[in-house]
Amino acid sequence: MSARIAVPVFPGTNSEDETVRLLRDCGGDAELVHWSEPDALRQFDAYVLSGGFAYEDRIRAGAVAAHDRMMDLVIAAADAGKLVFGICNGAQILLEAGLVPGTGPARRPTAAFAKNAPSAHFICRHVHLRLALEPGRCAITAALPSGALIPAWAAHAEGRLAATPQRLEEIVSGGHVAFVYAHADGTVDSEAVPNGSALGCAGLVNRDGNVLAIMPHPERDAWNFNHLDLIEGDDVLAPSGGSAVFRSFVQALA
Amino acid sequence: MVSSGVSGTANVALRDDELARIEERLGRAPSAVELHAFDAQWSEHCSYKSSRHHLKRLPTSGAGVVLGPGEDAGILHLGVHEGERYGVVVAHESHNHPSQVVPFEGAATGVGGIVRDVLCMGAEVIGLADGLRFGSVEGAHQAYVATSAVDGIGAYGNAIGVPNVAGDVYFDAGFDENCLVNVVALGIVNENEIVHSFAPKNADGWQIVLVGKATDPSGFGGASFSSLSLDSEDAELNKGAVQVPDPFLENVLMRASYHVLRLLRQLAIPAGFKDLGAGGIVGCSAEITAHGGYGAQIDLDAVNVAVEGMAPQVIAAGETQERLLWVVPPEIAPEVLRIYNDVFTLPDVAYNARAGVIGQVTAERRYVMRHRGEVVMDVESEFLTGSIRDELPYTEVIRHEGAVDELPAVDVEAIFPQVLAHRDVCSREPLYRRYDAVVRGATVLPRGRADAGVLAPIPGSRLGVALAVAGNPRYGRIDPRYAAEHAVLEAMRRVVAVGARPIGLTDCLNFGNPRKPDQYGAFVAAVDGLAHAATQLDLAFVSGNVSLYNESGDGLAVPASAIVAAIGAFDNVGDAVTPGLKEPGSTLLWIGSRELVVGGSVLADVLGIEGPLPGLSYGAERAAVAIVHEAIARGVLRSCRAVRDGGMLTALARLSFDAMLRGRTVGAEIDFGNPLCEGGGFLCEVSDAGAIDLTGVLRVGETNDRRELIVNGVRFDVRRLYDVWSQPLEELYP
Repeated sequence: MSARIAVPVFPGTNSEDETVRLLRDCGGDAELVHWSEPDALRQFDAYVLSGGFAYEDRIRAGAVAAHDRMMDLVIAAADAGKLVFGICNGAQILLEAGLVPGTGPARRPTAAFAKNAPSAHFICRHVHLRLALEPGRCAITAALPSGALIPAWAAHAEGRLAATPQRLEEIVSGGHVAFVYAHADGTVDSEAVPNGSALGCAGLVNRDGNVLAIMPHPERDAWNFNHLDLIEGDDVLAPSGGSAVFRSFVQALA
Repeated sequence: MVSSGVSGTANVALRDDELARIEERLGRAPSAVELHAFDAQWSEHCSYKSSRHHLKRLPTSGAGVVLGPGEDAGILHLGVHEGERYGVVVAHESHNHPSQVVPFEGAATGVGGIVRDVLCMGAEVIGLADGLRFGSVEGAHQAYVATSAVDGIGAYGNAIGVPNVAGDVYFDAGFDENCLVNVVALGIVNENEIVHSFAPKNADGWQIVLVGKATDPSGFGGASFSSLSLDSEDAELNKGAVQVPDPFLENVLMRASYHVLRLLRQLAIPAGFKDLGAGGIVGCSAEITAHGGYGAQIDLDAVNVAVEGMAPQVIAAGETQERLLWVVPPEIAPEVLRIYNDVFTLPDVAYNARAGVIGQVTAERRYVMRHRGEVVMDVESEFLTGSIRDELPYTEVIRHEGAVDELPAVDVEAIFPQVLAHRDVCSREPLYRRYDAVVRGATVLPRGRADAGVLAPIPGSRLGVALAVAGNPRYGRIDPRYAAEHAVLEAMRRVVAVGARPIGLTDCLNFGNPRKPDQYGAFVAAVDGLAHAATQLDLAFVSGNVSLYNESGDGLAVPASAIVAAIGAFDNVGDAVTPGLKEPGSTLLWIGSRELVVGGSVLADVLGIEGPLPGLSYGAERAAVAIVHEAIARGVLRSCRAVRDGGMLTALARLSFDAMLRGRTVGAEIDFGNPLCEGGGFLCEVSDAGAIDLTGVLRVGETNDRRELIVNGVRFDVRRLYDVWSQPLEELYP
């Protein structure tokens, strides 16, 4: 029996359908779990928190959802070593819940995905993510090649990693920066960063390597039809591009 | 017996003759509820009373039309996937008046409403577009409108998770006091699973279910507000007529409604489903029943309200957002309520939001409403919703025929950067990057990449949809009819330029005061232009909207603005033409139809000159489209852009920018009389010009292996041109 993946839906989530579709296209056994039935989450082996505006981003992105009943169960699963992958709003929720970077006391957020800078506005921009760790440091990225370059879309108003210098130092020394923003050729500089994120950070991993939070959306550049100029193979419907990180996630469950 | 006794008719827009007609038909003075019900239903906004008889001239049927105008949205046949026929649902609305007064809320609620119009046809909402016309943003209020309206559109569309894939923006002093915010929504539906905006057969005794936000006093009088000219002294008063957006609730409402739609399909139960727009509960419940040939009994006490003690006319006619109305058989109503209230927990999502039964469908065609046990409204359904008509006099607008003027000698080296930096040409990215263009993961060409947005809307299917809008106000100033024809042509060219087959159109007609014969004449001329162009191109209008009274305090109408959306189809979305020059050594072709004249162009604006608009040749237009499609079919088309604002050289520059942004080193050398004239047609990069019939096609140059454009011997560095083009809106939209 294959591992079962839950995609929890909070009120305000908006990327659940394409997230489930891509997981399935990558061989995963994924389904939605609705906020009115949180206990159903117990039956799953892994969790993908998708994008959106859970609870309207009240207070700040992820702040309310981090205390939702569904998150109690996701946190317990993460503590038990199950894989948890958050994208965009999902990443914001994981950070608010203190699951990433996880450098301080348990369940205490030690960093923030703060408002974008220098412009605080929502930004929708195509980006690339470069894997910044040895692939095996995070179970979810273990099947990616070293230095993998993943195409994705940044689409958020609050994605700038912000923390005190000491916390940032812990994030670096603890090997928590999973992905950095890069150009299409893999080079890294401040121009590649769409939101002013500290360390050019696009994704964080926890200490144990089973929880990954990334701000951009690889699932929006994940099929050949999303990037006709860079088509792989000849099937326009085939997963490609950003699907690599989802494939790696599914492989980690095999 | 309804008690009369309206003490005055303050705050209604009904005219004395209309009021007299109502009193005569009722045999008594209308109650307050009736007065406000007629005020909304007989407003221009709801009744199209002065436009409908002209709109009848538009072609609305044809082979690809699944559902023409008349319901909340129209439907075009897209294609067949796994034996099932799929349709594209499309609706087009304006939210001009609200956006001028409170731009964030006005524009946001425009998005919310158009999305519900598509949703209630049984469709999944797949995309958005916006046509924006802002004033000259040197003015503080104009800049506020231009930025806040964009933020409102973004905040709403981003939160509900519908990608914004197409649109256009113009800045013009003619919109200083009346911005235009037009929005288009697309949906996808199995053609066997369409839900209609009226009660189905044998619905006598079915239940009327109101779903969504608790009714509040916001938006009371909105329909009649939209049907008057804005008076700046009333700005504070007008704010009360604008609705309050809650995209968070709409997000949940959409998902819950998808759930209900799935249930009804599984059980093969028909239903009526309709958005509450102008006219609120009374407008929606009267229309959904009357259009099915029924009456209705409505109990206002069953309505979920936000505050106690609201007057019955406010509950009945207020335009609170995020509400929908179902007509369903009694046996299924409890399950519909359970899905909204318990599964999707509407009452926890927004204060007192819920689904509840508020009345019944009746065979007798009377619309009866009760409040606290009293009958507060009792009228013939058809009298309320039927054809009120207002045939107003208008001045014939003389068509400017295209006498070709002498082309000015232009110093391309000095002028081209000015054209690229012009407000109508420069990059819109600072604006549209605030919109999510890629949520749903189905975006093939996002906003701004190409002339049209492209989506792959059906999981597992190669079928594709293209969407573009057009409507050039510089042309509208000179000639309303020509501008309307041009809007059809440009919208069509835009979807052709990405490789799609045009399948249909929608329109939003934004004009001045219909009670002024010259302003009304511009509207009538534009309808003629739309009808002529669409007929010549064998395309139908399946949805549309009219926004009149876009008139400034000193009595000037906005530039004539027939804004047209074109919808295109792909059998295989993999055939979409991707942005940017592809390879050195390609041949560049101009496949055009019009004489090169300067009138109405950006060049004319930069040079401060005037001239007549060119004539049109529909035969040549059809031929140009056929050539582009042939080049795609033969596999020789490498890139393509429609030639529009800023002329062919701007189109070429855009192709070279896209090549550079993708890391390709490709430029071009062309030789062409005046490349800044807006000659229409297409600029195409082809690998083998010999593969296609070149009748009517002009070879203008070829691509090279440098980031350089050489135009009539003048050299331009592509990076420097890009910097000129990409910067101007950065200050307004940081």
